[in-house]
Amino acid sequence: MSVADLVLVASPTTTAAAGGVPSRQRGRQILARIGSGLAVLVPIVFISSFITYSLGALSNSDPAATILGQDGATPQAVARMNRALGLNHPLVVQYGNWLVKAVHGNLGVSYFTQVPVSTSISQRLPVDLSIAGLAVVLAIVIGGSAGILAAVRRGGWFDRGVTLVCSAVSTLPAFVVGIILVVLFATTIKIFPANGYVGPTTSVPEWLEHIILPGLALSLQVSADVARQLRTSLVGVLEQNYVVGATVRGLPRRRVLFRHALRNAAGPAITVLGYDFPLMLAGSVAAEAVFSLPGLGQLLLESAQTRDIPVVQGLLLVISSFVIVVNLVVNTTLNVLYRTNDGTST
Amino acid sequence: MSAAANGGVVTGRAGSVLRLRSARIALAVLAAIAVLAVFGPALAPQGPLTLNTNSLFQGPSWHHLLGTDYLGRDVLSRLMAGAPLSVLTALEAVGIGMVLGIAPGIASTFLGRGFDFVANRVADALMTLPSIFFAVAVTAALGNGLVQAMVPIGVLLAPAYFRITRAATLEYSRAQYVEAAELMGASKFHLVKAHVVRKVFPNIVVTTASLTAGALLAVSFLTFLGIGVQPPEPTWGGVLSSDLDYLSQAPWAPFIPGALIAVSVGALNAFADAFRDRGGRGALALPPLAQLTVRTGPTLEDANGSRRSVA
Amino acid sequence: MALDDLLLDDPVFAPTAARAVPPREDVLRIDDLHVSIHDGLATAVRGVSLRVGAAETVGLVGESGSGKTLTCRAALGLLPAGCRVGSGSVSFAGQDVTSASRRTWESIHGSQVGAVFQDPASYLNPSLTVGAQLAEVLRVKGRLSRQQARRRAIELFGDVGLHQPERVFHQIPAELSGDMLQRAMVAIAISCGPRLLIADEATTALDVTIQAEVIDLLLDLRRRNGLAVMFVSHDLAVVAELCDRIYVFYAGQVVESGTVEDIVHRPRHPYTKALVRVASGGDFRRRHLEVIPGSPPQVGTRMVGCSFADRCRFALGPCCSGEVRSVVVGDQHEVRCARANDGELSDELLAV
Repeated sequence: MSVADLVLVASPTTTAAAGGVPSRQRGRQILARIGSGLAVLVPIVFISSFITYSLGALSNSDPAATILGQDGATPQAVARMNRALGLNHPLVVQYGNWLVKAVHGNLGVSYFTQVPVSTSISQRLPVDLSIAGLAVVLAIVIGGSAGILAAVRRGGWFDRGVTLVCSAVSTLPAFVVGIILVVLFATTIKIFPANGYVGPTTSVPEWLEHIILPGLALSLQVSADVARQLRTSLVGVLEQNYVVGATVRGLPRRRVLFRHALRNAAGPAITVLGYDFPLMLAGSVAAEAVFSLPGLGQLLLESAQTRDIPVVQGLLLVISSFVIVVNLVVNTTLNVLYRTNDGTST
Repeated sequence: MSAAANGGVVTGRAGSVLRLRSARIALAVLAAIAVLAVFGPALAPQGPLTLNTNSLFQGPSWHHLLGTDYLGRDVLSRLMAGAPLSVLTALEAVGIGMVLGIAPGIASTFLGRGFDFVANRVADALMTLPSIFFAVAVTAALGNGLVQAMVPIGVLLAPAYFRITRAATLEYSRAQYVEAAELMGASKFHLVKAHVVRKVFPNIVVTTASLTAGALLAVSFLTFLGIGVQPPEPTWGGVLSSDLDYLSQAPWAPFIPGALIAVSVGALNAFADAFRDRGGRGALALPPLAQLTVRTGPTLEDANGSRRSVA
Repeated sequence: MALDDLLLDDPVFAPTAARAVPPREDVLRIDDLHVSIHDGLATAVRGVSLRVGAAETVGLVGESGSGKTLTCRAALGLLPAGCRVGSGSVSFAGQDVTSASRRTWESIHGSQVGAVFQDPASYLNPSLTVGAQLAEVLRVKGRLSRQQARRRAIELFGDVGLHQPERVFHQIPAELSGDMLQRAMVAIAISCGPRLLIADEATTALDVTIQAEVIDLLLDLRRRNGLAVMFVSHDLAVVAELCDRIYVFYAGQVVESGTVEDIVHRPRHPYTKALVRVASGGDFRRRHLEVIPGSPPQVGTRMVGCSFADRCRFALGPCCSGEVRSVVVGDQHEVRCARANDGELSDELLAV
């Protein structure tokens, strides 16, 4: 809802006189829109990364002292360590340095383990990518089909069932759902493993086995939102005249549904998907806890406990970049699907 | 508009929200939880910390209405005692969100485009930060306390309040009767104070209900992850977490705190929905028969309005 | 401009020549159609029968709520939710489609019958170009390739009188004016060569000058392609300009039907007469609007006797009791009036 709205609102308009636009000009139009979208995002990226970085400043822990230990923390050693860590510059300068290095892939080094942050993150990234990726796919597939079927058979038992399930799911936090799933499928009926992770490079079937329950747990909330939103928009669209128009031209029903109705109804559902993405990432922290997965969430918890600031900052930066990228993808999709006569979307 | 069969939705003002049955149930549940939030520990039938080592993992019984946990403690008492922390910190977060969000929302209409642009970007930036991640990250900086952890949650709720108040104020300030009033000498600030607040109030109530639900989930989440929990003090999320550790001995156990969280969240959402819908969508009211046809062209006037009734 | 002048000026119509019915099968035939609304609560179409012959233009005239639109929708198999065909039949070129399956309708729509409606912009997908929508029909139903479809689409846009058809091809509905959209709709509707075009209030939302152009277009299509048109409108003047035969609707029934000659010059139903008077009475010099006192009955009200009786100057006792049947009063001329065979009435109607 956030970045999505903003990008749409801030897009420049082209004059109506541009009129008929053949496809390569349309392509240019889309690129221009992406460009202006990025331009709006730049301040957002700066602000969020600055907030992230200033967490370190908020912290009243003294990393130098912690690293040096009780014995070595003489005032001179501390001062030297501070200089080495770059902590003696003003905040904004520190932020600048950090950001520049981050862009080059250098997120600093853990205070305690001396392992580069980027290494720790890239080790654990595949786990989260797998789960989040699966969750998104499941959300689209499950949420999408449920929404479509509910709208097409409006008022029927499927429709009412879907509405009920959606309401129920939205009250249950992702981790409760995860727990339920574990209880059902891992403990009671032992189909899937309850914990651990196996990478796809090791064994694909095992990888799938391990990610399916957490992916499912994460996707349920988003699927419910997508299904509900899609159903509502689709029901509205199916009542529109242009559906009648398409039908009376003799187009097959499936085509009318997908190419005409759904194309226009999908917008809000896609927006919801983008909006729920950060929530899903938040849920992955719990999923990792419940299913004992070595992911970024666990890393976050551990480093928060030990107050390992660089790791925390690096993680937050990576995560929020993800969210921003996803929002950009969502907006581009919306721009491609829709256009109005003066060149802006919706 | 007549009351339709389903739930009795009726148009009217705020008082009419109570006519919706689901709203009444929701409010009753919320009232019960509010009572628990204030008097929880005092009302608990047994000590939440009392160990009964000879009755571990018991199912529901007369003595222990919700059973006992891995240390023989009464689950019901623990949940009741844990209510204040969960509920009050959730409210704390919502409060922070309100304070940080509402004022800028109203102000951004009057402080010029520069301020508006910056405020919007900040709101966006905040919304790109996943709430739990951010909250946990803040505990790295501020220390492992629940109160501290809820502050970032509150900050992340502010954009929602910002958005609605900004939208309402914007819409309002463009209305023509505002211009007229201004011409007559009323100051914008006074107008805002007198009118915008009233206009925005229903939206704020709905948003608050939904966001409290979210905050409650966030609290449960954080305590589940171990943030802000001082064992053996009970919290809803903490109980859930320990239940998970002993899943094999008591597979039914996690459902209890889970259900409690779900019911509270559900009640809040139901209340939010009812309040939003009280404007009387009348979704089931039949459209009048005459609306079936499209009004086309000039209608023939009726001079004497006579119409014969059905024999 | 009086209605009579219109007819005299039109080269297609000679005042005395009665149009002979072409000896081919009817393109559309509706027999005793009953349509109920609101899940059977009320009957909005009560025993309507009509036919459209090959290359004929037929007009359906009546006020809102008279049942003409529902009849159209029933003929297209597109009744809105809650509406059902109670009894009667609809057939296209001999094929009964009253309870046709979705598949049957899919093959009939576009290939045998096309339709244009009142608000063309709303019947087109707002996020696709009009060209894409026309090309889509050509590819899916006409099985043309992308290139062929594009070429044919631009050709069709030209045929319906759109300037710069290549440019129009790439525009979305929001970028086009009302009359351009209506032409585009016509192009789409006839793209697969149907024999019948149903136009439901197609010109109502257009300027008077544009109306004339669209009507010319329809006449042109009839001349060139032998297209039959069923034209629905509340405006008798427009209908008379375009159509060979007219059906007058009131309260869910056809109260009179005949050639445009019969209807305009020799109406036998008081309502028809009143309509003619209203249509031709738009003269600036007159000081009052021609009106019909009273208002039509609410849709679905059950009637005893003639539904127009409460507003009819000529109503007598027998008009309010018993069913009023349709009576033949001339070659192709029928009227549903209790006093149809009453010589006095017909004289009065001619005189006034």
